[in-house]
Amino acid sequence: MFATIAKLLARRILVSIPILLLVSMLLFMILRVLPVDPAAMSLPPNATIEEIEAKRVEMGLTLPLPQQYAIWLSQVAHGDFGTSIQLRTSVTRLIGQTLPATIELAVLAMAIASALGIAGGLLLFYLRGTRSETVLDVGSIALLSLPEFLWGLFLILLFGVWFEFLPFTGVLSAGYQKPDITGFLLVDSLITGQFATFWNAVQHLILPAFALGVSFSPPIMRVLRSSLLDVYQDDYIHQARLRGLSERRILIGHALKNAILPTLSLMGVQFGFLFGGTLLIEIIYSYPGMGNLMVDAIRNTDLPIIQAVGLTYCVVVLVISILVDSLYLILNPKLRTR
Amino acid sequence: MALLAANNLSVALTRGGSAFPAISDLSFQLEPGKILGLVGESGAGKSMIGRTIAQLLPSGFSVTGGTLDFAGEDLVTMAPEKRRRLLGRDIAFIPQEPLSALNPVLTIGQQMREHLARIGKTEPARWREHALAMFAAVHLPHGAELLDKYPHQLSGGMCQRVLIAMAFASRPRLLVADEPTTALDVTIQARIVKLIEEMRQHEDTAVVFITHDLRLAAQICDQVLVLYAGRPAEYGPARDVFARPAHPYSRCLQLASPGMGSERRGLFILPERMPGLQAIKTLTGCRFADRCPNVVAQCRTSEPPLAKVDGERVAACIRPEATAAIEPPPAAAHAKVTGETVLEASGVSKDFVTRRRLFRAPATFRAVDKADFVLRENEFVGIVGESGSGKSTLARLVVGLESPSQGRLTLLGRDVTANRTSERAFRREHLQIVFQDPQSALNPRRRVAGIVTQAMEAAGGGTGTERLERARALLDEIGLAPETALRYPSQLSGGQKQRVNIARALCALPRVLVADEIVSGLDVSVQAQLLDLLLRLRQERGFSMLFISHDLSVVRYLCDRVLVMYRGEIVESGPTETVFAAPSHAYTRALLASVPPDDADAAWNRDDGGDLALVERA
Ligand code: SF4
Repeated sequence: MFATIAKLLARRILVSIPILLLVSMLLFMILRVLPVDPAAMSLPPNATIEEIEAKRVEMGLTLPLPQQYAIWLSQVAHGDFGTSIQLRTSVTRLIGQTLPATIELAVLAMAIASALGIAGGLLLFYLRGTRSETVLDVGSIALLSLPEFLWGLFLILLFGVWFEFLPFTGVLSAGYQKPDITGFLLVDSLITGQFATFWNAVQHLILPAFALGVSFSPPIMRVLRSSLLDVYQDDYIHQARLRGLSERRILIGHALKNAILPTLSLMGVQFGFLFGGTLLIEIIYSYPGMGNLMVDAIRNTDLPIIQAVGLTYCVVVLVISILVDSLYLILNPKLRTR
Repeated sequence: MALLAANNLSVALTRGGSAFPAISDLSFQLEPGKILGLVGESGAGKSMIGRTIAQLLPSGFSVTGGTLDFAGEDLVTMAPEKRRRLLGRDIAFIPQEPLSALNPVLTIGQQMREHLARIGKTEPARWREHALAMFAAVHLPHGAELLDKYPHQLSGGMCQRVLIAMAFASRPRLLVADEPTTALDVTIQARIVKLIEEMRQHEDTAVVFITHDLRLAAQICDQVLVLYAGRPAEYGPARDVFARPAHPYSRCLQLASPGMGSERRGLFILPERMPGLQAIKTLTGCRFADRCPNVVAQCRTSEPPLAKVDGERVAACIRPEATAAIEPPPAAAHAKVTGETVLEASGVSKDFVTRRRLFRAPATFRAVDKADFVLRENEFVGIVGESGSGKSTLARLVVGLESPSQGRLTLLGRDVTANRTSERAFRREHLQIVFQDPQSALNPRRRVAGIVTQAMEAAGGGTGTERLERARALLDEIGLAPETALRYPSQLSGGQKQRVNIARALCALPRVLVADEIVSGLDVSVQAQLLDLLLRLRQERGFSMLFISHDLSVVRYLCDRVLVMYRGEIVESGPTETVFAAPSHAYTRALLASVPPDDADAAWNRDDGGDLALVERA
């Protein structure tokens, strides 16, 4: 089994390399043809033409494009994304500071989406053929049709402003110190034993994660329901009933294990989209993740950051899909033993 | 006292306010330690009875009258929770499709453990011991290894034995076996039947044995109940029913399946199909009247009641005395084929790589070993053997789905061994294959007309109307109504699908047809129709056929010569009659012995083929 998974991992990683190259090339080219001049931007507004020209040479902007790309790529391969034009700090460091926050948000949102989706799918299946199913079904479509940023605003109004339940800006309230070990706030506060900080961080995460997760749950719910309906047509379910197993045991012990497989593939795809969705949510909640970094960079045409963030999104999505495929392999014995 | 007793049991489908009877007025008594056979074509209601016992009826169906008593308590009105507790413990089921009856994502051990915990006969900590003991009881080798396997890693026969081990584990009082051997090889069938008989003997278990094989039922059952369109046609001691059927339907079923007796006889072709639920509702008179060879005007006036015929036997026919007069048509003699050779294999072998190894030659498994045979013009040659014997691989080699590792294949004098592109076109033109499963072989999104004329499409010939004309002609030839051309496969019955499958293969006017298990899983009546169709087509247009089958009686009926395969080798070959009358290889003898004899009084001397059967790969 491990050999099969290792084989899959090796193959997927190999395939990922050309994808990454292609994406990096696209990112690089598109940003280079934009009518902006990074050299002029990195100098004070009163700089002379000569000064700008000197800067252009210094930054390597006068070289042919393929050569510029090659230089950039070799730096990236060494983990160096260059220096931010606006913030004048290492882009790699900026990514390192913001990526963990975004991952925390995305993972929690995905957990919420999965929990809601699986619970909802089971409920829909349980209610099959009743009027409540129709109601729930229509409800889920309504959930689906509301985009995540509207959810974000709506939740802020409801729980943040009206009920004043939960905080809705940033990651921590004033007065809390941010421990910094791995960069993951929840993890760091736990391992350093700062439970108050941990709890405060969780409270800050709930609204954005929920806003992001909730609109991803209806598809999970519906796919799970329909694959459960399929699985219940199978012989082994009938045979399990003939063996006198209880309905609950059949659902949890037999049907769900099979029905979860197509659901899992869907969740893998969704996680990719969801990760992209963090961008809007981060802005709405002033959440200091990669999304906000990206938006600021776009506003300031900070090319090194835009490139780095774009590439990081791409890597994360690839890693997620590889992980999901491995999980699928672990759960499906038919694929594993060949 | 009877353990299981049905009294005027009726089951119906309720739809749109009206009820369609699925089972009408069924009564029987089953004592402990006895086997009751339920026999009939698919749709007769056999499996519905199994489902009624468990009260797991398909949606819309319900019991509309009568009782079904288990140990004196009515299963129909029993509290669901109480009934559920009986299932798996006091009442056990063996299913028809062993492979799909086990959960594909759980290991055998997990499923065994769950079942043993459910029936509560062992302490949880000792489930392993118990499971292994049960495996040993059903003669499953390598029990300990089996626990970590998933169902798809086992053969059908092994899965069936796992399910039987589960069924036996609780020492049930009633066992319901729904066609438990249909999907399995003959020698395994014999062993499974033996296991069921052993349990009946040791535990005094009562058995409901559902089968479409009247001959098998006659051998192992005490009582037989023949069902037709949901109604009992005949009920009585198994040997009487088989030796002297009183109801024309029993007689026709018996004559529709090819015999293994000394005299080769023709097949009785039951016309049409059994009426469906819709038709039954509007029928007056005998439900069998439309297909009955003995029908008289009076049969259609009112439904004939079950009346005593002799001894303990009852039949629902107004003139049972005429039944014995139903005779099969004379058998078409096997052709003495002397024509030219159309297909020849010499020393054909096929090795499959089982494991690649570094620096050494890969480990291989020889699926076909130096096969030599010829197929002549207009000759039907049967290939028999169990699953894993290499017969299907040989077929795949012949049609070019695999290339031989060694040896030579010649088609119409041309060497096609290498399977190059030019040869492929040649092969496609002269040789066609018909697969076992028409369901998956027919594209569900194409109309029948498109499917049967695929060969024309591939050759780039014919306009739409030309193709439709050709499709109509082909359908007419295979005995389907021309308007079938515009239907989709899902609108056809199993037998009709297989006909369409055959029509598709014949469209290109091939000289050779390769048929892989094309009648297995079909009702004997449909099987008889198809076998006759093949013989008729040969007479009308002429073609040769390699007919792969595990059913010896079918091969005997249809084929002029037979090849017996065992572990990849052709161990015996010759004219069918000679091989079957005087088998020279021990394996052929074991195969023949595992078929229930024609004569119900003859003892069924199955040697359970222990050492000769293929070693199933664990
Ligand atoms: S009652 Fe008539 S139609 Fe029915 S089985 Fe008897 S002879 Fe045939």
